[in-house]
Amino acid sequence: MKFRIPDRYHFLLLKLHSLTGIVPVGLFLVVHLAFNSLRTVGASQYQFGIDIINNIPFLILIEVFGIYVPLLFHSAMGFYLTFLAKPNIKIYRYPRNALYTMQRVTGAIVFVFLVYHVGTTFVPKMFYGKHLFEAAPFLIDIMNQEFETWGGRLIYLIGIFSATFHFANGLWGFCVSWGLIVGRNAQRNAGFAFAFVGLVLTFWGVATVWEFSVNPVSVEPNM
Amino acid sequence: MKKRNRKVIIIGGGLAGLAAAVRACELNMSVDMISYQPVKRSHSVCAQGGINGAMDTQGEGDSPEVHFYDTVKGGDFLAHQPLVRDMCHQAPAIIHLLDRMGVPFNRTSEGHLQFRRFGGTLFSRTAFAGATTGQQLVYALDEQVRKHESEGTVTKREWHEYLGAVVDDQGICRGATIHDLRTGKIFTLRGDAVILATGGPGNVYSRSTNSTVCTGAATTSAYLQGAKYANGEFIQIHPTAIPGADKLRLMSESARGEGGRIWVPRTPGDSRPPKEIPENERYYFLEENYPLFGNLVPRDVASREIYAVVYEQKMGIAGEAMVYLDLTHHRKEYLEDKLGGILDIYRKFTGQDPSETPMKIFPAVHYSMGGLWVDYEDDGHGMIDQNSVRNQMTSIKGLYAAGEADYQYHGANRLGANSLLSCIYSGLLVGRAAFNYSKSMDVASEDISSSVYEGEETIWNNRFEGMKRMNGKENPYSLHSELGELLLENVLIVRENSKLSSTLEKLEEIESRFKDVKCLDTTHWSNPMPSFINQLRCMIQLSKIITKGALLRNEFRGAHYKPEFDLQQPKNFDPHEYIDYLERTHYEEVNDSDFPEGHLDYMKRFQANNEKWLKTTIAQFKNNGPEITYDEVNTSLITPRPRKYD
Amino acid sequence: MKPISLKIKRQDGPNGRSYWQTFETPYRPFANVISCLQEIQKSPVTREGKKVPPVVWDCNCLEEVCGSCTMLVNGKVRQACTALIDNLEGPLTLEPMSKFPVVRDLQVDRSRMFENLKKTNSWIDIDGTHDIGEGPAIPDQDRATAYVLSECMTCGCCLEACPQFTLDNSFLGAATFSQVRLFNMHPTGATQKEKRLEAVMKEGGITDCGNAQVCVEVCPKKIPLTDSIAEMSRETSLLSIKKIFNS
Repeated sequence: MKFRIPDRYHFLLLKLHSLTGIVPVGLFLVVHLAFNSLRTVGASQYQFGIDIINNIPFLILIEVFGIYVPLLFHSAMGFYLTFLAKPNIKIYRYPRNALYTMQRVTGAIVFVFLVYHVGTTFVPKMFYGKHLFEAAPFLIDIMNQEFETWGGRLIYLIGIFSATFHFANGLWGFCVSWGLIVGRNAQRNAGFAFAFVGLVLTFWGVATVWEFSVNPVSVEPNM
Repeated sequence: MKKRNRKVIIIGGGLAGLAAAVRACELNMSVDMISYQPVKRSHSVCAQGGINGAMDTQGEGDSPEVHFYDTVKGGDFLAHQPLVRDMCHQAPAIIHLLDRMGVPFNRTSEGHLQFRRFGGTLFSRTAFAGATTGQQLVYALDEQVRKHESEGTVTKREWHEYLGAVVDDQGICRGATIHDLRTGKIFTLRGDAVILATGGPGNVYSRSTNSTVCTGAATTSAYLQGAKYANGEFIQIHPTAIPGADKLRLMSESARGEGGRIWVPRTPGDSRPPKEIPENERYYFLEENYPLFGNLVPRDVASREIYAVVYEQKMGIAGEAMVYLDLTHHRKEYLEDKLGGILDIYRKFTGQDPSETPMKIFPAVHYSMGGLWVDYEDDGHGMIDQNSVRNQMTSIKGLYAAGEADYQYHGANRLGANSLLSCIYSGLLVGRAAFNYSKSMDVASEDISSSVYEGEETIWNNRFEGMKRMNGKENPYSLHSELGELLLENVLIVRENSKLSSTLEKLEEIESRFKDVKCLDTTHWSNPMPSFINQLRCMIQLSKIITKGALLRNEFRGAHYKPEFDLQQPKNFDPHEYIDYLERTHYEEVNDSDFPEGHLDYMKRFQANNEKWLKTTIAQFKNNGPEITYDEVNTSLITPRPRKYD
Repeated sequence: MKPISLKIKRQDGPNGRSYWQTFETPYRPFANVISCLQEIQKSPVTREGKKVPPVVWDCNCLEEVCGSCTMLVNGKVRQACTALIDNLEGPLTLEPMSKFPVVRDLQVDRSRMFENLKKTNSWIDIDGTHDIGEGPAIPDQDRATAYVLSECMTCGCCLEACPQFTLDNSFLGAATFSQVRLFNMHPTGATQKEKRLEAVMKEGGITDCGNAQVCVEVCPKKIPLTDSIAEMSRETSLLSIKKIFNS
């Protein structure tokens, strides 16, 4: 890697990398999974959730500057860091090293998954100009199609698992690299706590996938 | 006259070399530092126990004068006293200095320096940083040198080897010949003074507690160039080392300082596990024979006792050459905190836990009290003139030596935790001496004709080319092992003249076999083989100094033990009687009846022996071997008297 | 007993190609890797009977305090002196460390580590070596923490095993961060605290740590390197936040 970040920006950019992973990207993940899990309660509740989001003022600005830009920045820095490194889990088989390697692998998977996920949802939505109350039935139809096949379900399960793992383990990394947890015991305990957070998020995601898969329901626009 | 930046070349980056570099930098000299390896890996890191300095922080009544007395007595009065006294008086300041540099010395509850007891004294005067004090001291000084290096005053040349001094036709040292161990290139460096801080020669014995670089080649090279080598026969055998195939690893005296007890089963050949042998069936021979000092008798005494128990009384553990060093009466946590580092070494190399099983140890070659003869100048009041250019100068003008490479400070036997002190003290002293010396010289090394340097380069280039062409039958590493075995067998704790003289003959044999060595590697990049052949050449010469010195010295003094010349000190003898005796002889006749039976005879023997042998052995290279003469020792401050530790 | 078989990765010089040779030495109890290499020196013949130059390696103290003899034994980084043959699975493989330039055979050049210590002002700035009395009083608990950090022998195990540390990047690595922590802890050393922190806030600095935490697993001195890294992360984070508000 010949690319260099100038020293005066290096610390700032890497700190931002770590921070953007939590806020806003990580936060978005949580909100996204939470709203999606409304589908497990019922299609109309889910639709209601989408409607709320779609009626937020200046949504496109929030989406671009609050999600896509930070996400792309986080991904770019992530790839930069990954290419600086030389994983060695085959030789040094320690749990933390495995998590370290997984973090990079899941990061890459999530990136690819997001390209797919955004490409099948957000892009068509923009393309067809579905705004306000039209979006929900449109998106729900798309999702119903996505979950029709085992292939589609598998893609989402892998995507969700990668994202929740990347986020939960990233939370731990964030706490360490900002110096919030320092001692060995504190780091270990935090590891368990964040693993629990990851499990909860994964459960949310899997439950949503399940609901979509076994119970595809179309909805009409609310007015 | 143009103001010049004076230049000193320091060979060796152990404690003495680093201390000299720091001092020289402070005096605005530019320093070239030569070392086999990164200086942080020097042998000084192996020192474990601590560094002595009498600060009497525990209200025991200790003082630098008592430290001085203990050191001189421990060295059997063979050390020049003003130098020892000055060192002991500066010891507290040196420890404070190290403390300021950030050495993590163990602390008292109030946050001050903590001290522990060491061999040869009754006082707690050893400051320590866990069980790796030497390592911590090297690191602290290394960091100071690194600071100077980053400021540009020190140029470190690591992976370089000193081959010899550049001496001009006036006999003045003007620089050094250096061998780049990577490129194999031989070149000279100009220097207004050269300091040899190259450590000890333990590897002459092949297996010792020394690191692999401690070959004594640099000091021997100076001797071969005409410098005097002094007290070579005084080799300290450390009583407690872990036997091993590649190395005899040191088990620090601090193990005994923290209450470690040495014992063997009372029944010879008893093969029960140590923990199953009841207290009354254990023979704590040091405690029984030396009730006052117990396990903390000086090293020479302890080594001889262990040797006697194993070889004369045949009481080694299960018939083998080993005795127990027992710490199992302490709590595990206590041991970890105080001795963690050294117990780890034992664990790693034997697989046994010293907090559960007593350690098995045996004496090993550890330190050379002897070394290059160096001068000093006292101030007429029993201390040292700090500004004298003579301090630490060898018999070659402009060539200095410090640390284990010199022969001062320890006499016939070194006390534990005095080596770190003497290294730093002599390092600081030599830094100043080299500065004053280079200032005093009218001609700087820069002005010396380059032919002087070129000549020296040619000599060494030819020598190395010659060594690379050596194509005989002997493997140099095997020959080295043989040399070591020969010395271990004959020039160790107990010395006999018949064995010593046959050893001298065998050394001649080894020397002639050396001519038939094969250089197994003739490549040009990072090839250690020619270097090693050169070191072996030096080690053979050094063995001759040690063996011949031992052969000629017909007495028992400190680490040099010849049973046939033991003066047989009466059991109930009190050293003060001897002072009394000396005083009385000044003004009256003394009679047998004035002293307990046999004592007067003993004291007369002692006095006569001192008149003959209380002298520094001086070896000079003549006719391909050492010519031995003897020099007076400065005993102006403390009257030499019989040693006694029970 | 079966002879000890050692498969050794050799390289004639920094730019040479590496190749493997296998040697055999007689079994001896308590033998370590170094004593085997010493035996090879005495008779440098490969298993196939080919006479070769003896293997070149670095070592010095042989009791794991100097750090010289660090190499890969059976693929993993450690000191060769404490590598007892009885505790290792044969046939043994020896390789030079992979994250530092090879000099020859098992010798590597670790000067990068020492340069890093220079970059981070890893020393205590004292006024001079003259006698100016006692150093600062330090609680023994603080001394105990410092002592553990100060046992670092710059062997490079932590860097060899670190996935973020490679031959051609500029990562400072755990050993350096831990030294910064050590000097910043000291009452006198603390006078240069910010200077040291700023030195680890550049490219290759503390932010480039990926928390794989292999360093702490392979450290032969059991130095709490990950604590040091987290501690330095905290200090640098606080410093940068402080700078935002105080500049």
